[in-house]
Amino acid sequence: MQRSSTDKRHFIIAGVLVVVVSLALYALLYVALPLPLQASTQAATIDWVFQAHMILLSVLFALVVVFMMYAVVVFRRKDGDSSEGEHFEGNTPLEIAWTVLPLIAVVIFGYIGVTSLRTVTAAQENEVVVDVEGFQWAWAFTYPDTGAASADLVLPVNQPARMEMTSRDVIHSFWVPEFRVKQDAVPGQTTVLRFTPTVEGEYTLVCAELCGLTHYNMIAKVKIVSQEEYAQWQQVQLAAMGKTAATAGSIDVAQGDAPAVDN
Amino acid sequence: MAVANPVAPGAGHVESAHSEAAHGHVPTYAETLANNRLGLWLFFISEAFLFGGLLAVRFYLWGGTRPEVSQFIGLLVTSVLLLSSISMYTAEAALENGNRRLFLTLLLVTAFLGLVFLGGVMIFEWGLFPSLYEGHLTPWGDKYGAVVFLMTGMHAIHVISGIIFILIVWNLGRKGHFSPSRKWGVESAAIYWHYVDLVWIFFYPAIYLIGTAVTH
Amino acid sequence: MADNEQRMSLLSIGLVRGLVGQFAGILLGFALVVLIRALAGYDEVWSTEPAWVVGAILGALGFLIAIGAMSDWFSWWRGGETPFVHGPRHPGRPTWARYFDVDYNHKVIGIQYGVTGLIMLCIGGSFAVIFRSELARSGLQFLQPATYNTFIGMHGWAALFGIFIGIGGMANYLVPLMIGADDMAFPRLNSFAFWINVPAIVLLLISLYYTWDAGWTVYPPLSLKGSPGFQLVFWSIFLLGFSSILGSLNLVATMLRMRSPGMSLFRMPIFCWAMMATSLIQLTATQLIAMSFLMLSLAREATLAMPFFVPVLNAAGVNIGGDPTLFQHTFWFYSHPAVYVWVLPGLGIISELLPVFARKPLFGYRWIAISSLAIALVGFLVWGHHMFTSAYSPNLRVWFMVSTLLVAVPTGVKFFSWLGTIWGGKLSFPTPMLFTLGAISVFLLGGLSGPVLATVATDLHLQDTYFVIGHFHATIFGGFVFPFFAAIYYWFPKITGRMYNEQLGKLHFWLMLPAFWLMSVGQMSVGVAGMRRRIVDYDPLLGGMTRFNLGFVEIVQILITISAFVIAFSILIMIYNLFHSAEVGRVAGANPWRSRSPEWQIPSPIPEQSYPRPLHVVGEPYDYGLATSPRFVAGDD
Ligand code: HEA
Ligand code: HEA
Ligand code: CUA
Ligand SMILES: [Cu+2]
Repeated sequence: MQRSSTDKRHFIIAGVLVVVVSLALYALLYVALPLPLQASTQAATIDWVFQAHMILLSVLFALVVVFMMYAVVVFRRKDGDSSEGEHFEGNTPLEIAWTVLPLIAVVIFGYIGVTSLRTVTAAQENEVVVDVEGFQWAWAFTYPDTGAASADLVLPVNQPARMEMTSRDVIHSFWVPEFRVKQDAVPGQTTVLRFTPTVEGEYTLVCAELCGLTHYNMIAKVKIVSQEEYAQWQQVQLAAMGKTAATAGSIDVAQGDAPAVDN
Repeated sequence: MAVANPVAPGAGHVESAHSEAAHGHVPTYAETLANNRLGLWLFFISEAFLFGGLLAVRFYLWGGTRPEVSQFIGLLVTSVLLLSSISMYTAEAALENGNRRLFLTLLLVTAFLGLVFLGGVMIFEWGLFPSLYEGHLTPWGDKYGAVVFLMTGMHAIHVISGIIFILIVWNLGRKGHFSPSRKWGVESAAIYWHYVDLVWIFFYPAIYLIGTAVTH
Repeated sequence: MADNEQRMSLLSIGLVRGLVGQFAGILLGFALVVLIRALAGYDEVWSTEPAWVVGAILGALGFLIAIGAMSDWFSWWRGGETPFVHGPRHPGRPTWARYFDVDYNHKVIGIQYGVTGLIMLCIGGSFAVIFRSELARSGLQFLQPATYNTFIGMHGWAALFGIFIGIGGMANYLVPLMIGADDMAFPRLNSFAFWINVPAIVLLLISLYYTWDAGWTVYPPLSLKGSPGFQLVFWSIFLLGFSSILGSLNLVATMLRMRSPGMSLFRMPIFCWAMMATSLIQLTATQLIAMSFLMLSLAREATLAMPFFVPVLNAAGVNIGGDPTLFQHTFWFYSHPAVYVWVLPGLGIISELLPVFARKPLFGYRWIAISSLAIALVGFLVWGHHMFTSAYSPNLRVWFMVSTLLVAVPTGVKFFSWLGTIWGGKLSFPTPMLFTLGAISVFLLGGLSGPVLATVATDLHLQDTYFVIGHFHATIFGGFVFPFFAAIYYWFPKITGRMYNEQLGKLHFWLMLPAFWLMSVGQMSVGVAGMRRRIVDYDPLLGGMTRFNLGFVEIVQILITISAFVIAFSILIMIYNLFHSAEVGRVAGANPWRSRSPEWQIPSPIPEQSYPRPLHVVGEPYDYGLATSPRFVAGDD
């Protein structure tokens, strides 16, 4: 009655189960791991890579767990049976196979990783540059092109944006979950983050690096608006600061004590 | 598979005393010695990561630069330390040849040279005694002072422990411990001292030679 | 008179003596700092932080001297005889007293480590239960932000102490037994390495008096500001590192030198190979965290203010100071390999138990042994994957991404070999086997979430979110906590001579596994949706931009908190089970699991002298199902 463990039927049944469970698992993960709204071009790439990983995860998880549970059910010891299991100590071709196949998967995913990284960080023409300064526990934004300064981050939709970031005290981290990408702001250095917002609306910029007492509350409003609204906002902002766009060019970063060091 | 492995001959493993209360296998001196040697070398491997880490810090922060330091003092203390390695080596050889007086004297010479090295570092590098020598580096001023103090400080801790170790060995030797065949204490102190010297051979160029000197 | 006698007997307990010694050492340190400052002519002779630094060092020394962990060495330095004492060092004392004192028997030291590890795990877990209660709802409930921030760091480090010390327990108890040795290569060093942990724990607990709000990773510049509590943490970890280095040195020497006749390296039970790889990491990488924390200690304003990690501008505006990213490099150069320290022993336990309960040889013994070494080796090349969002060069990002993904390969070899081991076996499922299988499923979840983080593009979204939290709780529970519990149940009859209660063991498992799954997947879920880590309060709607606008974050948070309580409750069941069964459990016999490993061939509990006669090993470690393969011959020669 007991089939040999190398009987083909075991592998056929388990194989079918792996396929079924992989699909079920992927569906489950899709529901259980909800990505935020996709609001930048970078987000599109990242979400694609994420889903590729979820497929890999589902398949590999199903593979291991199905075979494990299959063995648990089929090869369990019956009551009163005190005999031993089959004797085999290993199988070198098999070991090589399950070294090489994951290696291939790693190479593929490494390739995906490298290309997606390039796409996500690529410099674009016509970038809006914003100088971002983090400090305990708020953010300040200045627009070097016009000299406007603000506590909210306002950006035109569909135009690449480049954050030039630094910090006044400790390490902070710039993150808008809807844009996906994240970058630390480090005292004494300038770090760069690029993204292209694609959906108009209001978002929240959060600090993602523990920075002390009210790190949890180190947030800023992010508004993605149309080009016209953006231009208008710049004017209003400058007017409020008592400057005009014409003189703005000569006005530098508002925060005088920002160390503008690069190393 | 069921072939009995012949028991490795020798090595004190041929054990016959089976008293129930006592220890079944009392390690022989040779076995203990082999254990100790291995242990010491493992410790050195471990420490190598510490000193490697310090060198990495130096290259990360300084890159191709280094502070303005006195080449003469650097060469001097390095020579003193190398000399102490030689005296340590000769001390061990003297013990092996049964010349206990020379052995003890050379141990003291080694400890003394170690102290001279230490004094040189403290006076000239750290500027601890401004009345003797006005040092220009401080631990808190900039990355140059900080790294110099970190590297030489960590090395100095090892030199001090090495000197204490040598003095303990000297004291034991004075009381008649150690013989040409049983001298693990001496051997370990010597290897430790050579190791500390070796570390300096890496630190010396990293601090004194590599990179362009900057004044600030 | 009677009062006096009682005080005498209290001080004769080593641990008490040690704590008194530590207290005295701390006071001495304080006094020394005051003295030096007075002599140096400071106006303010008292300065808390330097006092704590010197107090921490002298306190640890005081502890070790008072408990007697260094007595033999002192005696040797003075030229005294230091014959090696085996057996109780104070005959006539009750047996329990041995466990509170310096003792050179590796089995005693193993239990000392194991129990201390479990206690630290419970302390660390209790902090989690407290701050999880805060997180059950959004808004601030009962924890102040400063307290919350301190508690997460405490939770992290206390639990990690639990792991390091718990591993020390398994290693010290099992490795000498498994290779047929009488004891470790350096029994005195072994005891010393254990007892350093206790002053370290004391310092860590004292640090709670202050707030230190930088998490377990204590990144500067944040950790350079704020209270002296940081110094206590730095020096606590420094001492823990000392213990790791000395303990692992001892283990490597033991495995290389103390094997019984016929026990070739490739005949060692697989757990020894796991410990070999682990020890090689601990022996080397630990130096880097010692260096990093020493640098932090020296970099703080109240000590030497050495500018390793903060920029300093000169008159020309050029940075002549340091760089915060440097710390991240040195910290992770240790701390990434350290995560393999936390799991390799556990994976070794899994490989060790599966053959016993499947009655089959371990599939691909050599591959598994070598994969541990491979993981340890590659583990040294990947530290930068914790820094994908830090300030460093894009080329390094690519290198660290690819090297990190590579670790999946040797880890996979282990998983597939485990499947090969149970395939076609005769499986039975007592509690240790359940925990082993549970560990595989949990570690698989944690491991497979690793490559998602290792890929830079996705990590840019996930870094510093609860996805990372979910990832590492799954790896830690699958790689350490579940296997550790499996090991406790499995070797319990060997240690005590009695069987644990099987019903309670199964209850523990069936409460803990689903609760843990819920907790870990829940954490990953909110993390993907955008929840940051290390925040005391969160937006239940996460800006209202997720696919679910139902405030699902808060629902998941409640589920995680409930899971935390269920896990805590199930652990309480285990603790009760262990204590109760040690008294009344059924007598187990020498080899209830019919194992081929050496330690099961001798009586339970193991007598003072494990192997009165040298063990002669003639067969393979896992030849289950081959009646004709003997493992040992009687050692009479
Ligand atoms: C027990 C500890 C443990 C273990 C074993 C691991 C294992 C791994 N970890 Fe994890 N990790 C941590 C503990 C651990 N980690 C901790 C504590 C942190 C957070 C620290 C902090 O910031 O506080 C962290 C964070 C962390 C990060 C940084 C996240 C961030 O902050 O942004 C990354 C990124 O690469 C990462 C990756 C990995 C990878 C790739 C593995 C791999 O080793 C996993 C390998 C295993 C598998 C892949 C599964 C089995 C394999 C197969 C079935 C074969 C086929 C598989 C493939 C082809 C993919 N980990
Ligand atoms: C060994 C490692 C380990 C272990 C076992 C655990 C166990 C647990 N962890 Fe921990 N965790 C870490 C290591 C570990 N963790 C680390 C390193 C961090 C990062 C810290 C940082 O960011 O700096 C972290 C962070 C961390 C966070 C994120 C905090 C934040 O970023 O804001 C959370 C949140 O859910 C969490 C939850 C839990 C829970 C609920 C458990 C539970 O499973 C614990 C259950 C166990 C017990 C409760 C103990 C035993 C039970 C008793 C003794 C019963 C009596 C006690 C009570 C009923 C109170 N952990
Ligand atoms: Cu700024 Cu967290
Ligand atoms: Cu890592």
